Amino acid sequence: MEEVVASPREWIDRNESAKTMLARVLTARPLLLLPPLHRVPLRVGNVVELVGTSPSAKTHILIQAAVSCVLPKEWNGVHYGGLDRLVMFIDLDCRFDILRLSKMLKHRINGESNGSLKKIDQEHMDFDLWNNDTKKSPTYDEELYSLCMRRFLFIRCYDSFQFLATLKTLNYRIRKEQELHGISVHILMIDSIGAFHWIDRASTFMPLGATNRKTPSLQTVSETVVQEIRKLLLLHPMLVIATKATIFGDRYSMETKRNLGKLDTSNSRSMSSTSLQLPYREYMPSVWQNGCSHHRVLWINL
Amino acid sequence: MAPLKYLEQEYPILDSNFQNFCATHGIFSGPFPPSNFSRIYSPILTPSFTFLGVRFAPILLLFWRCSLFDCSELKDTRRKHMKFRALHKKTEDQEDLLLHDLHVLVAFAEQQSTSERLKQGITQVLSIIDGQHQPWLNGMELLEDAQLNKHVLSTGCEGIDLLLEGGLRMGQLTELVGASSSGKTQVCLLATSNVAKKHMGGVVYLDTGNSFSPQRVIDFIRQNSDPAIDQAKHRILQKVMNRILCHSVFDIFTMFDVLHQLEVNLRSQMQKGDCQVRLLIVDSISSLVTPILGGGGSQGHALMASAGFLLKKLAHEHNLVVLVTNHTVGGEGGISKPALGESWKSIPHVRLRLSHDQGSSIYNVSVFKHPSMVSGKAARFTIYD
Repeated sequence: MEEVVASPREWIDRNESAKTMLARVLTARPLLLLPPLHRVPLRVGNVVELVGTSPSAKTHILIQAAVSCVLPKEWNGVHYGGLDRLVMFIDLDCRFDILRLSKMLKHRINGESNGSLKKIDQEHMDFDLWNNDTKKSPTYDEELYSLCMRRFLFIRCYDSFQFLATLKTLNYRIRKEQELHGISVHILMIDSIGAFHWIDRASTFMPLGATNRKTPSLQTVSETVVQEIRKLLLLHPMLVIATKATIFGDRYSMETKRNLGKLDTSNSRSMSSTSLQLPYREYMPSVWQNGCSHHRVLWINL
Repeated sequence: MAPLKYLEQEYPILDSNFQNFCATHGIFSGPFPPSNFSRIYSPILTPSFTFLGVRFAPILLLFWRCSLFDCSELKDTRRKHMKFRALHKKTEDQEDLLLHDLHVLVAFAEQQSTSERLKQGITQVLSIIDGQHQPWLNGMELLEDAQLNKHVLSTGCEGIDLLLEGGLRMGQLTELVGASSSGKTQVCLLATSNVAKKHMGGVVYLDTGNSFSPQRVIDFIRQNSDPAIDQAKHRILQKVMNRILCHSVFDIFTMFDVLHQLEVNLRSQMQKGDCQVRLLIVDSISSLVTPILGGGGSQGHALMASAGFLLKKLAHEHNLVVLVTNHTVGGEGGISKPALGESWKSIPHVRLRLSHDQGSSIYNVSVFKHPSMVSGKAARFTIYD
């Protein structure tokens, strides 16, 4: 209000061209293109939900995304094409295996460095490039590997209250980690947002005392989760990916397998009460459904 | 979950002014103070749990709190509900502060006259909340923990060991699925004998169907031992059998009692070289969970999920191998599928399927699900009588 525009012409004058703006936005907020999500370029501020039955590759996709995110764009002349950012992983399922992440990261690092060595040094090309590479320059790989592993931040929660406590203090934690590493957080991963669904559902309490008191039930916990994530996205713009395992799958599995090709409403025995025909039964409260910007269903035919 | 006035003793900034301010916004309790004393002994502090006006000795209090009512009437949903609440140590005062928007609270605080002090109080509470969740770790720390603590224990059965690339991993919940008499209990007993003998670790065996047989365990131990001197044999056998603890549990609440007791023991136990518990077996968890599933209401599923979380927590924090068995039910088209339904599928780390060729001693095992292996890999093994 204190600034007075000198002249209308100045106000209309452009600040930057579209090209410079795109360049700025793409470096500050890079796109993440990953199969099988590459058809939908995911940007910061999106909340993505990956839904699938139990043995589908949801956690695998998260691990792949994490590896792509922590790798730098270029290191010692080798192009990795990573996003060079931090990743935060909240494990609600308590089933995360760090060895898988480690193997995938090593594989990616060695794969890329093998490729570049092939291009540079064709006369000294050996068939056993894998072994040779690790023997030739172990320190080179190790340094990058440990740098990337340190960029992966992990926590596990054993109940809803621990999850809420984590979300409430996440703001300060992100600030601290960003100061420590010097780079920002790009992805927040939540493995199995529906992990505490049954426990929360069963623990509905009768309200006591004052009527303005919130009792922990499925609804209030979900509302608080969505609220906290929204506030977090305002302060630290990042991509949120949450996985969700389907339940109630068995009763409808034959129907869903037949209907997967055609999701039309003509099916008489519809499972979902909403107008949108989904191949699985929705169990999270609608506040969470509305909070997500993208839903992606993974269906693996066994 | 402590009412706010108990937090005042440790943090004087959360004075009565702060408590009144919170009460006007419906916040009556806050997070636990960091001291372990109040976490375990909270029933003493809250008025709703004095049992017959008698104060029990602290050691017994934990068990009393978990088995609050007589366990015979499982069909009564109200009792189930009360038992469930007792299990989760939830009292009438809840974690109000976790459900409220703290920024809105700060905005309200600004309007009060003592705004600075109130805001300091809110910051103090936030730092207590920060101590309430598990610590954040980075990838390298996780990897070090996995390499140092989470070793692989061989089961004594070569087929399974080869399939699992070494054996059962500590910190993971492994499930054995199979029809009746497909060898699940045999594999559990074999693993028991192997861990007690070769790895010299303690074994806790929760037996739901009276299938634990000490004689069979002795047979397994004798099978693999070298032809040693008879004098030493008896002593060694006694030592090995002393490491195995067997509990008979016939309903899920008794299992929770035993597991909580085990947790307390493990937390307070000093690092004894010989008797550290390494293997926890629940044979079979499906017979504990199936009676409470279904019948409407979500208590059954909630108890199953809680049991899964407790087992995984024990496995991770105390570096145990947890082995559970599950039976099969009929599925579509007559193909049998594992019991306990869809929600249970995402709880174990590793799921193995066992089957038995009729009349022979050859067993088949295949991988149903594994965190880092493709499912469908199979192997055969033999268990001699």
